[in-house]
Amino acid sequence: MDGSRTLEQEMQEIDEVISRYKGKHGELLGILEESQILNEHKFLSEDALNHVALKTGVPLSRVYNVVTFYSFFNLKPQGKHTVTVCRGTACHTKGSRTLLDDLGLILNCKKELDEGEQFFTTPDKQFTVTTVACFGQCALAPVIAIDGIIYSNVTTSKLQMLVRRISKVRKIHENH
Amino acid sequence: MNTTMVNIKINGDNHQAPLNATILDACKRAGIRIPTLCYLEDVSKNASCAVCVVEVKGAKSLLRSCTACVYEGMEIATNSARIRDARKTSVELLLANHPKDCLSCLRNQNCELQSLASDLGVKEERYVRTKKIEKCDTSSNAIHRDPNKCILCGRCISVCQNVQTVSAIGLSGRGIKSKISTYMEKGLGNVACTYCGQCALVCPTGAIVERDDTDSVFEEMSNPDKYVIVQTAPAIRVGIGEAMGMEPGSLVTGKMVAGLRKLGFKKVFDTQFTADLTILEEGYELINRIKNNGKLPMITSCSPGWIKFAEHFFPDLLGHLSSCKSPQQMFGAVAKTYYAAKMEIDPRKIVVVSVMPCTAKKYEARRPEMSGAFDYWKDKRAWSSEDAFYDVDYVLTTRELARMFKETGITFSSLPVEEFDNPLGASTGAAVIFGATGGVMEAAMRTAYEVITGNPLADINFTAVRGMEGIKEAEVDLNGMKIKIAAAHTLKNARTLMEQIEKGESPYAFIEVMTCPGGCLGGGGQPIPTTWETRRKRAESIYAEDANKPLRKSHENPNVAALYSEFLKEPLGEMSHHLLHTSYQQRGLLVWKTNGAEKKELKTPHHA
Ligand code: SF4
Ligand code: SF4
Ligand code: SF4
Ligand code: FES
Ligand code: FES
Repeated sequence: MDGSRTLEQEMQEIDEVISRYKGKHGELLGILEESQILNEHKFLSEDALNHVALKTGVPLSRVYNVVTFYSFFNLKPQGKHTVTVCRGTACHTKGSRTLLDDLGLILNCKKELDEGEQFFTTPDKQFTVTTVACFGQCALAPVIAIDGIIYSNVTTSKLQMLVRRISKVRKIHENH
Repeated sequence: MNTTMVNIKINGDNHQAPLNATILDACKRAGIRIPTLCYLEDVSKNASCAVCVVEVKGAKSLLRSCTACVYEGMEIATNSARIRDARKTSVELLLANHPKDCLSCLRNQNCELQSLASDLGVKEERYVRTKKIEKCDTSSNAIHRDPNKCILCGRCISVCQNVQTVSAIGLSGRGIKSKISTYMEKGLGNVACTYCGQCALVCPTGAIVERDDTDSVFEEMSNPDKYVIVQTAPAIRVGIGEAMGMEPGSLVTGKMVAGLRKLGFKKVFDTQFTADLTILEEGYELINRIKNNGKLPMITSCSPGWIKFAEHFFPDLLGHLSSCKSPQQMFGAVAKTYYAAKMEIDPRKIVVVSVMPCTAKKYEARRPEMSGAFDYWKDKRAWSSEDAFYDVDYVLTTRELARMFKETGITFSSLPVEEFDNPLGASTGAAVIFGATGGVMEAAMRTAYEVITGNPLADINFTAVRGMEGIKEAEVDLNGMKIKIAAAHTLKNARTLMEQIEKGESPYAFIEVMTCPGGCLGGGGQPIPTTWETRRKRAESIYAEDANKPLRKSHENPNVAALYSEFLKEPLGEMSHHLLHTSYQQRGLLVWKTNGAEKKELKTPHHA
């Protein structure tokens, strides 16, 4: 993806989305959803929200209401890959806390973890770490998901391996 | 229109009610009280609290009477063990997440949640807290919010959105994380909030309140170096009695003056003095604009919430606003120049306290440009910025004054009737009506007519601009020149008139805008509850006071005339320009980006 896209360009793209939705049912939701998709890090920045509000005439508080109500809106940048750790009871007793700590070490973001952040993205925007209340796969605990794929009976070494594999794939791509 | 009536049974008795009336309304007609919490007539109906539940024969669960409607043959029970238990549980669940802060809460003894808990016999804590503790919003100097005391009734959102068309606050999150938020949690001080305080007026609890300045004022009064004087807005004399337990609308001018003296103010003056002054300045400004092809319509500028609204939402139309400061600010500027010089008091020692029906006045007093008196003195006395002071030091709302009276043990019933001090206490009937929607317009017309035509008015009552209609209009014949005028209250109605101007379709020469429903008498700092009924009663008293005044036109105020001859010289003159007029800022909606300038606080001996 084109990483050098300026804020101005992004706003122009949002303008285009807004004009396409004009007068349509579910206008605001659609505009916000598409604006999130066209963002490089798949999130709605404050600038994007301001822009949508001013251009559509929808009050800022209403825009904020919508983006905090639906869980598919992100107000923070998303990494290229998402690692979701289950913090449900079953997974907890099988050591999911340790897995989170391990991720902190592997991905170099122990600080955010210790500060109790529920959701954070590594500075290089490659990984987002988040938690979930239960995957409904308690029999296979501890469970994590990477980019939507569920992995069961995860151990520290398995986690390490999975993360390394993704990083490696990335490296290979980048070398081409 | 013929309303179809249906037959219903309430607690076994036969009654009739209009079809589609809510059960709550039907019971009210029948004289049966059902407790409510989130529901507020004309304001909010989002049925979130489940306190108003009743039993309906045939229905499996209890129904919320504030939204469920009656039908033919409905059998309602409003009182049973099951109902009492359900109501009690609803309140207990709210209290589980509620701070046990009543004793230090500004709404103590005037809180719907507190009185409901007591009425329903809530004695123990049966449920545990489920929500996390939220930070309070003290980002503005007018309105403070404590989300922990919020019961999510939605009244504030509804008023802000539907009555004021501001939408400074809204719901955020969902489920257990729902709360009332400003955009991105920036706080009221950093979004386009007008500080009108209508949200605080309807909040059933202490979750939205005025910023409390009572302690600061007590502190200043106990400082022997300070000369603490007070000014009272027109709407206080019809509000403070009510806040002290008298009938809504009680007119208590003389008792209020006596009470303020007892409280310890050195002089008790009247904002109505500078309301008369405002009429002269504004009247001449209007005449000037009409004669010299100035920007029309000219719009009044007494209401600081309205000013802020215009600065946020209509930044390109600010040239329509009169450049006159509000009476509160004119008072501060005059007190710390003219009066200070006349009485030979060091203006740095004068502390001007205002009692206002308004929360936005707290903000207005802290606008950085509101230091005309200091600018006047600084060259004459070679003062540095170290000596700087605001024209108005503290603003108390009606509710805060009532708390101060109570704290000092002043009981209203036993107070004598006293007169305002001179010279800043004299006023005419024209100044009294500044407290009601249409009043500034009427006062201005009484003066403009006589100044322009040179003839006395046959009938000084401009009844066309009185009353509670949202937008009132009239045509006035000024010596053959006919002008159209309009008066609007609430920002929603103001918005309508502004959109007309935007489109170039405004037929008016002069518009009055008051931010709050009913005008200042329905201001965000007035006694709670403020309903349409109490507003009407307060308005009656305002017009009664006007009718009783020996002088009823601003240009007849002898002390204002003396102020001109001794000090200001003439309306719109050089001195007026510096002390009594001001300018406005284009603020727009992304307030936090431009707020830097706003943060510049004058260094004063008082904390902000
Ligand atoms: S809001 Fe009401 S119940 Fe809550 S602390 Fe204040 S007075 Fe008490
Ligand atoms: S003070 Fe007025 S504008 Fe601000 S949030 Fe309350 S109702 Fe809205
Ligand atoms: S702040 Fe007050 S008015 Fe607003 S939702 Fe909460 S309790 Fe209701
Ligand atoms: S607790 Fe982790 S999947 Fe259910
Ligand atoms: S008053 Fe009816 S649900 Fe709250």
